Amino acid sequence: MLIILAGLFALSIGAGFVGALSGLGGGVFIVPGLVILAHIPMHIAVGASLISVVATSAGASVAFVRDGWTNLRVAIILECATVTGAVVGAYMAGLISPPILELLFALMMLQSAWFAMKSQGEFLLPQSDVLCTRLRLGGQTPDDDGTMRSYGVVNLPGGAALMVIAGMISGLLGIGAGAVKVTAMDYLMKLPLKVSSATSNFMIGVTAGAGALVFLSRGDVAATVAAPVALGVTAGALIGGRVLPCVNVGALRRLFVIILVLIAIEMGWRAFSRI
Amino acid sequence: MDPETAFATAEEDRILRTWTPLILRIILLFSSIVMALGIAQSLAFAPGFFVRRFHAIQSSGQLHARDTVAQLLDEMRHGDPHGTMTIGLYLLTLVPLVRVAFTFGLFLQERDFVYVTATAYVLGALVVGVMLGRIG
Repeated sequence: MLIILAGLFALSIGAGFVGALSGLGGGVFIVPGLVILAHIPMHIAVGASLISVVATSAGASVAFVRDGWTNLRVAIILECATVTGAVVGAYMAGLISPPILELLFALMMLQSAWFAMKSQGEFLLPQSDVLCTRLRLGGQTPDDDGTMRSYGVVNLPGGAALMVIAGMISGLLGIGAGAVKVTAMDYLMKLPLKVSSATSNFMIGVTAGAGALVFLSRGDVAATVAAPVALGVTAGALIGGRVLPCVNVGALRRLFVIILVLIAIEMGWRAFSRI
Repeated sequence: MDPETAFATAEEDRILRTWTPLILRIILLFSSIVMALGIAQSLAFAPGFFVRRFHAIQSSGQLHARDTVAQLLDEMRHGDPHGTMTIGLYLLTLVPLVRVAFTFGLFLQERDFVYVTATAYVLGALVVGVMLGRIG
């Protein structure tokens, strides 16, 4: 039993650590880790991953919310969209065959690799559009020198539409789909990137929680896998968060992109060989 | 935004930023302790059970029979590691539920009905998720 536990802990601590350093979260690494290395069936890996994503989101959100990076109103409004997608996605996950899920996962990993590679600039929109003003979605973010700067938010319907898709991906594949969420807020709604990342992290808890509840109440979560994985990923994410300020994130991101592409090829190959 | 609304919004934000991290941290810590206790029970009293379950999952994807929460609590009381670990997992999924329920209560108290509706919808969707899972 000790060998199995040590293996699960090593895998999940590693996934949480790499997920925190790459900014992609643990789910995108834990599912392929469980499927390829631990030979766990895809739907059980997805259930375990969803639970661990809830834990990492809760752990990481504490500082972001306290320090004012998270836009709580944007999160609350967009959660309506992500939670709808997550419930539908998690329900569909029980109906879709594992090779199709693995193929979707491979495609999602390629999108995550693209997201990790793209350049990241900071842009503050001066004013919100009419709908976002009515909902009081604009906010303030601390500048490099600590002064607070206001920003506006636009295009809520476009962002919400992409959030439904992000929620479905999360429920189907057991990941936070943070790459899609940040893209929606950053590109479509013009939120500052750091605010988008912090808000995405906060929302991921509810999105993954909705999916995890479907899996748990369906009896599709194996406690012997999910409990050690949740604890390991949380520990790994905490360590990763502490190490992050001391490492060259640019070089690491390039390495993670290569790893993501290699895992996507492996998952895609496994899927195609069984379809 | 008129000064009164701006003040009310800032006050809501202050309460959310104070209480939300506390809620997240307490439930995460409590659920982690319960899950760690379940793993410790496995190590101490039922290592064979853990290994058999893990190999059954690997070979055939076979899962433990679905228990009700009452059954799981009963198993936990009797020192069954499966019951303890699963209760820990359920507690972990309470993190988003309690956080959304708290914001619902806050917005209701402040009579901020747009956000009351939004949080009620999220809570409702989470409940629907549980029901869909029960249906299968």
